[in-house]
Amino acid sequence: MGCCYSSEGEASEQEEETKRLLEPDPSPPNKALNGAEQSYHNLPSARTDEQAMLSSILAKTAINIIDVSAADSQGMEQHEYMDRARQYSTRLAMLSSSLTHWKKAPALPSLTNQPHQVLASDPVPFADLQQVSRIAAYAFSALSQIRVDAKEELVV
Amino acid sequence: MSGALTQGLERVPAQVGYLVISDGAVLASSGELQNDEVSAGLLSSLVSAAAGLRLQRGTEPPFKRLSVVFGDHSLLVTVSGQKLFVVKRQNHVQEPLTV
Repeated sequence: MGCCYSSEGEASEQEEETKRLLEPDPSPPNKALNGAEQSYHNLPSARTDEQAMLSSILAKTAINIIDVSAADSQGMEQHEYMDRARQYSTRLAMLSSSLTHWKKAPALPSLTNQPHQVLASDPVPFADLQQVSRIAAYAFSALSQIRVDAKEELVV
Repeated sequence: MSGALTQGLERVPAQVGYLVISDGAVLASSGELQNDEVSAGLLSSLVSAAAGLRLQRGTEPPFKRLSVVFGDHSLLVTVSGQKLFVVKRQNHVQEPLTV
C-alpha cells in the first residue's frame, strides 16, 4: 500500500495531539501507555471527555450563530426604510451594470430555419461513420508511435 | 406554444424522444428524453463547443446537424432561432463498427 509505518515514538505523538483536541481543559497526558491500554484505563473518565467535547461544540456554535429572534431591533421609521431601500437599489444597479459584461454567454448561431426537416432527414451513412472511425484509429495509432530517437550525446 | 415546436419532432421517423431547449432550460420533452435535464445540459455544452468550429475564418459553422451515434440509437441536434432541438432516433440495424 506504499505506507511506511514507523516507530512507536511517532505513534505516541499523534495520541497526544488527539488528546489535546478532545480535552480543552489542561490535564497531564499518560505518556507511558500506548493507545489501546490508555483508553482501557481511562474508561471511567470517557464520559467527562464526551461531555467536555459536547460543551466545547456548544460553545463554538453559540459564538458562531446569530440568533435573529433574540436580537434587539431598534424600530425604523417609514422614511428610513424607503431611504435605505433606495440606497441598496442604486448600489445594486451600479454593481449589475459592471456584471452584465460577463453574464451573457456567446449566442448560439442558428444552423437552420427548418429544424424538423434537418432532424428528420437521413441519418449519417454508416459507411461515413466507419470511415471516420478508421481515420481516427489511424491517427491515434500514429500519435502513439511518436517517440524520441536518441542519436548522439546532447552534451559533448 | 410547445405545440408548434414539437409537432414536427413527433413526426421524425424512428424517433423515441425529443427535447427543445432554450437558454439551457428545457421547453419541451417527450419519450425517452422526457424531463432529461442532464442530457439537455450536456448536449447544450456539446453544441456550444462545436458551434465555435470554423473550417475557414469568418464563415458559418460547417454543419447543420450534430449526431451523437450510439450502438442502437443516435441523438441528433440542431439549432434554430436560439433554440436547441434534440431528437433521439433508433438506428437501422447494422453490423457493429469495427476498426
